[in-house]
Amino acid sequence: MFEKKKVMTSAGVEVRKKPLGLRIWTNRGYYVMFLPVAIFVLILNYWPMLGVRYSFYKATPITMNKGTNEFVGFANFTKLFETDAFWNAFQNTLELSIMKLLITTATAVIVSIFLNEMGNLLAKKTLQTIIYLPHFMSWAVVASVASLLLSPSVTGMVNGMLRDWGVLGEADKNIYFLADKEMWRPIFYIINIWKETGWGTIIFLATLSGINPEQYEAADIDGATRLQKMRYITMPALANTILTVLILNLAKVLNMFESVFVLYNDAVYDVSDVIGTYIYRQTFAVALPNYGYSTAVGLFRSLVGCLLFVICNWASKKVRGRGIV
Amino acid sequence: MKRKVLSVLLTSAMVMSMAACGSSETTEAPASNDAAASTTTDSAAADTKADAAASTDTAAADTETAFQLTEPIKAYVDGTVNYVKEDSGKEEFVSQLNAAISEKMGYDVTVEFTALDHSGYTDAVGRMFAGGDYPDVMIMNAGMFRQYMTTGLLWNMADAYDNAEFQSRLTAPGLNESLKDKDGALYGFTPAIGGGCPTYVKKAWLDAVGMKAEDIKTYDDFYKMLEAFTTGDPDGNGVNGDTYGFISAGLYGEEAPHINYLPDFWQDGYPGLLKGEDGVWYDGMQTEATKNALLRMQEAYQAGVIDPVSYTAGTKEAREKYWSADQTGSAGVFCYWAGSWYDNIATNLEKNGVETELVQLDPIAEVAAIGGYLNRESPVWVIIDDGDGDDAREQAIFDAFIEPMLDGDKCQTLWTYGAEGTHWSLKAESITTGTGEKEKTVEYAEGEFHCLPTIADPTTLFKKNHIDNAAVIAPLTNGYSNTTDTVAASNTHFVNNCVDAPQAPSCDTITNEGVAITDAIKAVISTVVVEGGDVDAAMQTYVDTVGSIVEQALSELNAQ
Repeated sequence: MFEKKKVMTSAGVEVRKKPLGLRIWTNRGYYVMFLPVAIFVLILNYWPMLGVRYSFYKATPITMNKGTNEFVGFANFTKLFETDAFWNAFQNTLELSIMKLLITTATAVIVSIFLNEMGNLLAKKTLQTIIYLPHFMSWAVVASVASLLLSPSVTGMVNGMLRDWGVLGEADKNIYFLADKEMWRPIFYIINIWKETGWGTIIFLATLSGINPEQYEAADIDGATRLQKMRYITMPALANTILTVLILNLAKVLNMFESVFVLYNDAVYDVSDVIGTYIYRQTFAVALPNYGYSTAVGLFRSLVGCLLFVICNWASKKVRGRGIV
Repeated sequence: MKRKVLSVLLTSAMVMSMAACGSSETTEAPASNDAAASTTTDSAAADTKADAAASTDTAAADTETAFQLTEPIKAYVDGTVNYVKEDSGKEEFVSQLNAAISEKMGYDVTVEFTALDHSGYTDAVGRMFAGGDYPDVMIMNAGMFRQYMTTGLLWNMADAYDNAEFQSRLTAPGLNESLKDKDGALYGFTPAIGGGCPTYVKKAWLDAVGMKAEDIKTYDDFYKMLEAFTTGDPDGNGVNGDTYGFISAGLYGEEAPHINYLPDFWQDGYPGLLKGEDGVWYDGMQTEATKNALLRMQEAYQAGVIDPVSYTAGTKEAREKYWSADQTGSAGVFCYWAGSWYDNIATNLEKNGVETELVQLDPIAEVAAIGGYLNRESPVWVIIDDGDGDDAREQAIFDAFIEPMLDGDKCQTLWTYGAEGTHWSLKAESITTGTGEKEKTVEYAEGEFHCLPTIADPTTLFKKNHIDNAAVIAPLTNGYSNTTDTVAASNTHFVNNCVDAPQAPSCDTITNEGVAITDAIKAVISTVVVEGGDVDAAMQTYVDTVGSIVEQALSELNAQ
């Protein structure tokens, strides 16, 4: 029924596979070297997964320690699906993540092309360094700086500039950028562009540096303009990389937390609350949290994440000819 | 194919192991119910035992001497214990405290403090509990305490408290009595009154706009003052309109009572569940008083009289803005804690070169009508019950840790002022504080109590460790005091103009759905005050969102 597939050398000689046990023994050195990694992965990645069982319990800090968690079946999930705040957070997560991904990828591509076109190497390197730097700043620092610059107080720099330029009249109130439902998302995207664009250019610049210069020389001989070269040589070369970056990042869209957590406040929950921050509030903003509910939210997020991952893997196979894993 | 079979087997193994863990939990549940039942029985037995012990002092004394603490006492504390923070003389404080407790107990006792971030204290404690990491004693704020007191985690210290040595020296015995539940159980102990936030005004600003503190008698007067500070030039920099009338650390505090940073605006409104005079709980949020309070804040916020950052500002940001060297963008009025904080604010204003006296306003008529500023429910010390059914260890922790806090002598001094030689001294010496024109040197004679310069900034003095000497419920017997006339006056003024804050509610629904209610309250405040929206529409949204949850909570509270 199952015909064993023969492995042949190029000379047509059949390669006979040794038994598994013998192969393991032969490569025991490698297996011993791999053992710490396997233990590490099991303990840190797989052992915590057992915690998903709490999503079927009412588990408070007290009951968890006493081992008196109450089995509630799917009650936590029922509550989850009936809660508007959760669905609001779910929707926000998708919208914010996808928009952020598209915007930061687009800006990274544009900046990469500009950098690639720069002739002065010193200026190019300096600019690259400057735009990489924000990536290494912690989100807490970025949020503090943003809060100061965007303060609605009379000392707020951006509001002061808007007033000086006449955008805000004498009768106008200062804009509370981070507490205004209409302004929060644009500000969030701008901060993300500033922080992550530089880092995002690395992979695109690597692709651009791999384009055969002969293509540009041939285009020059044919009398192509700079824009034409970008349109017909650079962009097609980048297309595959852009798709790859988008697909790889699409699988992670539900992981958003830190960037929102440091910038949001209760005035803008409607447009900013994401699953990560929703779980945080349910877990840590109360004196006696029900970890069962938080775990249920987390499990649901993981399941949707898995689904996205499968879709991305499929898309990756279609586009790149191979999957993510 | 082999790989596929292997992957299927591995996946099955993982699923089965997870299911096995789940099923073991299921089988544990009845056992744990038994455990819970036995805990109840045990605690009842313990109560009976304690009652018996209380009736025979000799027996109690025997129990006390029989148990010795061999392990260090683990204590979780928030930011209110100042000298266990970094660069605050922690080693000296802990070492002297250990020595004083050991001397009192007659054997070596050590205390291990874990100082958790004040603003994230509830989070951190929850995380540690979830990991099975429990202290022996810890601080809980009123809201947290009300949630935990019914869980069986906290030790009933009623008998230990009733038999404590400090009983004869208590000046406010009712404070801890009020913490007892209807069965007389006491799960938390507070050494001092909770305190509250009166309204502070910069006198120089009042002078600049031609007003007097004694004329601020009603909300209208108060609002006119705020308007004058906002539109005029109270800081004297030659620019009108670059200052604010009022700044606050949030419009709704996370900790009960949630409104004490804006008493003049909230007045008789209260965004939370309240117990009426008839003992019936009701939703303060859905009252006309709260609507009116929201409209007052809306008017002030929209008119720019309240600094807009007040909505998101924390206490640190609000304080620092109030006393900043550059008064542009600062505010004239700030509601903050009475007593030593009066001194702190005044000192910082002076240190930053802001020439003004700080005035503590009498409550305006509308605030006085409810009894005055709110005196919050005090944070409490609790002892974690190890659940072994034997109270000897918990009693020993009470004897070694809680009771000495009010011994009137060494331990209380440590909790009040810190360690001798580091935070305070009795030596003859001269102490210089301030810099430049503000530099001041004071000579102290031998035996004269005085606080020492801080480690972080030698131009300022240590003031208080944990217990406020002016608010403590059993005074020091050694006469040590650094309470300045201004601090004493601030405390006296507050005590004469305060009313106890509403009791924090506690029931299953609040525990499970508290976040939803809080989020809905904040949404109303945001919509009405920050966005200038319609108050009735916002209230309707509140009812639509959490109305049923609130009803459920009220029915549970009224059934208690």
